[in-house]
Amino acid sequence: MLSLVQRNEDEVLKETRSIIERSCIPPGISSIEMPPFRDPKTFLAQYTKPDSAVKIKFNRGTTTLAFKYGGGVIVAVDSRATGGSYIASQTVKKVIEINPYLLGTMAGGAADCQFWERVLSKHCRIYELRNKERISVAGASKILANMVYSYKDMGLSMGTMIAGWDKRGPGLYYVGDDGTRVTNNIFSVGSGSTYAYGILDSEYKWELSDTEAYELGRRAIYHATHRDAMSGGMVRIYHMKSTGWVKISEEDVTDLHYKYKEAEARQ
Amino acid sequence: MFETRPSSVQHPTEHRFNPYEMNGGTIVGVAGEDFAVVASDTRLSEGYSILSRDNPHLYQVLPKTVMGSVGFHGDCITFNKTLQIRLRMYEYENNKKASTPAVAQLVSTMLYSRRFFPYYVNTIIAGLTNDGQGCVYSYDPVGSYEREVYRAGGSSAALIQPLLDSQLGQKNQGSFELNRSYTVKMSKEEVVALVKDIYTSATERDIYTGDAVFINVITKDGVVTEHFKLRRD
Amino acid sequence: MSIMSYNGGSVVAMAGKNCVAIASDKRFGIQYSTVSMEFPKIFEMGPQLYLGLAGLATDVQTVSQRLRFRLNLYELQENRHIKPKTFSSMVSNLLYEKRFGPYFIEPIIAGLDPKTSEPFISVMDLIGQPCISKDFAVIGTANEQLYGMCETLWQPDLEPSDLFETISQALMNAFDRDSYSGWGAVVYVIEKDKVTVRELKTRMD
Repeated sequence: MLSLVQRNEDEVLKETRSIIERSCIPPGISSIEMPPFRDPKTFLAQYTKPDSAVKIKFNRGTTTLAFKYGGGVIVAVDSRATGGSYIASQTVKKVIEINPYLLGTMAGGAADCQFWERVLSKHCRIYELRNKERISVAGASKILANMVYSYKDMGLSMGTMIAGWDKRGPGLYYVGDDGTRVTNNIFSVGSGSTYAYGILDSEYKWELSDTEAYELGRRAIYHATHRDAMSGGMVRIYHMKSTGWVKISEEDVTDLHYKYKEAEARQ
Repeated sequence: MFETRPSSVQHPTEHRFNPYEMNGGTIVGVAGEDFAVVASDTRLSEGYSILSRDNPHLYQVLPKTVMGSVGFHGDCITFNKTLQIRLRMYEYENNKKASTPAVAQLVSTMLYSRRFFPYYVNTIIAGLTNDGQGCVYSYDPVGSYEREVYRAGGSSAALIQPLLDSQLGQKNQGSFELNRSYTVKMSKEEVVALVKDIYTSATERDIYTGDAVFINVITKDGVVTEHFKLRRD
Repeated sequence: MSIMSYNGGSVVAMAGKNCVAIASDKRFGIQYSTVSMEFPKIFEMGPQLYLGLAGLATDVQTVSQRLRFRLNLYELQENRHIKPKTFSSMVSNLLYEKRFGPYFIEPIIAGLDPKTSEPFISVMDLIGQPCISKDFAVIGTANEQLYGMCETLWQPDLEPSDLFETISQALMNAFDRDSYSGWGAVVYVIEKDKVTVRELKTRMD
């Protein structure tokens, strides 16, 4: 500090500004650079148009669902990633394993979900070490909601469900890119969600058996992949129990399609 | 009272400019049982002009890890340079070289660090896992990533990827059962021959791909580079 | 959002040894949602002449019907089957008539000459610029993927059965990487004395 007097005003101003800048970095991770312009959302929009020569294509498009029932929480997802109309991948992992008692799902920008749920898993681990107990689902989802809220209007794109098991029993929250955070028994997120809701709502009840619940999740995702162009690949099913999550199945939807057709024909 | 995000940077006037260019190029990565193959053409274009006929889009970031990176050349080389620095830091801090899966995660976070002003790059990382298996990781420009068996990226991605699905993934050949393997069952030689074929075809239809192809074969002994000529028109 | 990919769909044609094949997917969608899976885009225009149309579905139907009308008049007037090359010109003419308000479709014409049985394939843009090719032609939302597949899989002088295998693999693997095409496929293999129509078992997502 002794050199402060010798420095010109400009330099002092610069340093003060950089201190302010650093302290103003939103919670989460400090390594995200702020863009050198005001509105990153509109900036990026220029390069995502299909007629632009420079195409920054983010992977997106999805059907994901989760529901609470007597036996815990079922999480079911598809596995397709699309960049425009091009199918970038049919094998994406849209269930993000945050820790043995927490699962996150991925809809919207793949990178946004992957990254922020990785940051979330760090926060959950730190919480555990500090408090000698697991974080609640409510708490974990709130950390995520607060993190993305601090980037509101900067163009983050994610619709995620946080499923887990804590002292209060099974937990399920929806967290949106605008900072929305709500809890309910049934959620479905993504371009194929309307199709999934259709199946889910018609068959859902709290008293489902485990196998019935798996089959409901599977059918809902299958029907969504069948009608929604942006969903497909395979159906992945996870079950959140009091003892943590278990991966139930992974099946190609084409396999399912012809199995269901065959079963229909037999009736 | 209702202050939204604290905006620290002052913006008096903003002059718009286009910070990106599409410089073309195609990369392909294939993971084998004890090897990985990563290939790239050597053309660098800007619009309808060719800037270079001898510019492979491959960057050896570690002795047994190669990055393929295409999109905006400026971003590719900057990203490569930054990655090299971060890997050197890793080596000093941990007293060992980073494994390919570690590089893969680092690349993801580095790409995401520019979430709001992205690197315009399509990236493939190829190398070996800790137990010597071939591995290929692919990325979108902001760092979402996945380990894959094979992947085509860049200007000819849409032409090549379905071909890899058919020739390496055995797709549409009777069974729709899931293939859980992380590697192809082919030999190095077969994969290299296929890659040459694929580039010859892609060059016919894509003006941003051509001149020559560099094929890097990564095994436990290191990287062997092969050079194969393509049409130059 | 391009009007050409509003409904989705792809068509491919390939020439073989004394035969040609033409194939299409069966999807009719409205952007992301798949409305019908029974919408082939290939139309029989003669015993050995087929037309494939990809693009806006309403125009696919309109153009196919208007061409059928013009073709009927031609055949009544001339009292003979049309040559694929002549039919190609007819398509081109019809499309160019709408030069400044075009039909949003691209056609592929595939067939054998009624007299010489010579394979013929032509493809054109939406305002009727024709391009006669001796190997293959592709149109639709999966055109890039199809180019990649055809460029490697196609080889000269394929026998009908090999041609069927090649075109099927090309089409299926191509539209499996395109979200706007798929949901079933139909393949026509056109030979001098017969036309074989086959439906393919495809991915349905």
